[in-house]
Amino acid sequence: MEEKREDSLQEVAAAGKGERRGGFLGEALFLARRHVVFLSLVAFIAVMPFWAKPLSKPLGIPLVMVMRLVGIYTIVAVGLNILMGYAGQISLGHGAFFGIGAYTSAILTVKAHFPPWLGIIMAVLVAIAFGFLVAPVLRLKGHYLAMATLGVGIVLFVFLREMTWLTGGNDGIRNIPPLSLPGMRIGEARDYLRAEYYFIWVIALIVLLLCSNLVRSRLGRAMRALHQSEVAAEVMGVNVSWEKIKVFVLSTALAGLAGGIFAHVQGYIDPNLFTIVLSIQLVTMVVVGGMESIWGAVAGAGLITFIPKIVEALPKWLGEVPRWVEKYSNYEGMVFGLILVLTMIFMPAGITRGLSDMVRYRRSPFVNPFRKKAME
Amino acid sequence: MNVARTAGGTEGGAPGFAPGEHLLAAESLTKTFGGLAAVKNVSFMVRKEAIKAIIGPNGAGKTTLYDLLTGIYEPDEGSVIFEEKSLLGLPPHRICAMGVARTFQTVRIFSQMTVQENVMVGLHKSTSSGMVGCSLRLPRARREEAWIAEEATRYLDLVGLEMQADSPAGSLPYGQQRLLEMARALATRPKLLLLDEPASGLNAYETRELGELIYRIRDMGITVLLVEHDMGLVMRISEEVLVLDYGEVIAEGTPEEVRNDPRVIEAYLGSELE
Repeated sequence: MEEKREDSLQEVAAAGKGERRGGFLGEALFLARRHVVFLSLVAFIAVMPFWAKPLSKPLGIPLVMVMRLVGIYTIVAVGLNILMGYAGQISLGHGAFFGIGAYTSAILTVKAHFPPWLGIIMAVLVAIAFGFLVAPVLRLKGHYLAMATLGVGIVLFVFLREMTWLTGGNDGIRNIPPLSLPGMRIGEARDYLRAEYYFIWVIALIVLLLCSNLVRSRLGRAMRALHQSEVAAEVMGVNVSWEKIKVFVLSTALAGLAGGIFAHVQGYIDPNLFTIVLSIQLVTMVVVGGMESIWGAVAGAGLITFIPKIVEALPKWLGEVPRWVEKYSNYEGMVFGLILVLTMIFMPAGITRGLSDMVRYRRSPFVNPFRKKAME
Repeated sequence: MNVARTAGGTEGGAPGFAPGEHLLAAESLTKTFGGLAAVKNVSFMVRKEAIKAIIGPNGAGKTTLYDLLTGIYEPDEGSVIFEEKSLLGLPPHRICAMGVARTFQTVRIFSQMTVQENVMVGLHKSTSSGMVGCSLRLPRARREEAWIAEEATRYLDLVGLEMQADSPAGSLPYGQQRLLEMARALATRPKLLLLDEPASGLNAYETRELGELIYRIRDMGITVLLVEHDMGLVMRISEEVLVLDYGEVIAEGTPEEVRNDPRVIEAYLGSELE
């Protein structure tokens, strides 16, 4: 490799990174190798509905229906993971941007009779606009940023609830038209659940692919650099404040996209769906799934969406729940919390990191929290 | 103050400043932190393609001076002219784009990224693919990415870290982290490189290597400003020395002149300058 320095610069670079360039085929091969995870996910998503149907009944969980939600949350969680995991900027207000997307599309389709696909595009644009509007809070750091984004979320929630003439207030908006594309019925198709499922996951997978490209690009490096040292990144020529705004707006755009789809899948929205609870759930997806990992967003969205369903279904599996458990009316919440606490103790870097470490280094995916850590 | 500055000065603060000869001219820079003047009325110039050292006891304001030059702090008073353009009020990334790069006294590498990625960040400003290009991997973005990787390898070769390209930067020993910082700074293609104690933590052999490296950097046409405590290195490689004490310039001149300056000897209590 050393003697061939004079070869074309692409080859040198490619050799260094184990990449190959040139031509469509080369790119396709390169993508295939780099995206093993992605391709297996595509395969899984593609066949899931076929074996899900016979499985749903005995499990007591409508798998395809829940997976639709997982897809929607994946779209938000990817954006939030780039913002939090890569760029290191926390947001406790993304539930509100999700809500803005949902309301934009709902209002435009119900009141102005936009077609749903156009409503969803408008949802993205409005979320982008709000993202820019809120972006000045990114001057704050750490806890202060967390507090400020929390405040933003609350303010936007209050607007959704109080602007009754536009949003219908606490009554929400009903009869939101189901998903459709020009010349294609999705939400009114015969097997509408499956159609929606595929529609959502095609979008989610495209988002995942684009985001995984993004984080490996110069912009991804700039984000990770400013995460680790803002001063050093800035002095190295990275326009830190602008890069932060870009990544924040990207994440609000994805939240808007997901929210727009959500409105049409649900058919009914009200402000209480988009409170701080949702924001915290989204952050939990990112953290449990694994920070600084695109696939962590999928894992986190899947886990956080499925756990409550599984907990709900537990009585069916076990036949009967003991009386003393039943007395705690909110035991689902307790199990949910317990699982989160255990994940954070034993897999502090998130489940995707734990699992990838297990595959790559052949070691336990769990961390011993009692082991003494070396001094940093 | 003026007396002090001219004490050893041949060049510094000389009235006959011909534009074009000097890359950087700082004029009466002052920065106060809560009543304490970290840098007080400091003026100096740096000739093109020179190696100039800034020395002084701990707390003399050397690093603060760097922070003023790179835009991390804005001076309370004074001006900084770089290539006949003022740097005052510009954010650090703009100053970097104009050709001023620096390293840090306490290493600030991106420790969670690989060695090569660190240098690639330095090349960020030389490329311009946006979000759309990067996420779709458009041809231009791919070409840029390949170019970035190749350039980064070149800079790693220069400082001798090519073998560690794929290790996490945080796993490097301290001395190599300093070299990595230099490679990263060089990747921004500076005209002026500000080194902040590059020899601290290095052994005698590594320090000599560092001297060679600084010469090589200068031969690339890059002007080097050097804050350093290792007097052996300073006296050997620098053409001019600026001495600070309590934020003020107490001497400026060739290494010989500075070495024999009574005020410098007093500031150092004769301990380090033999």
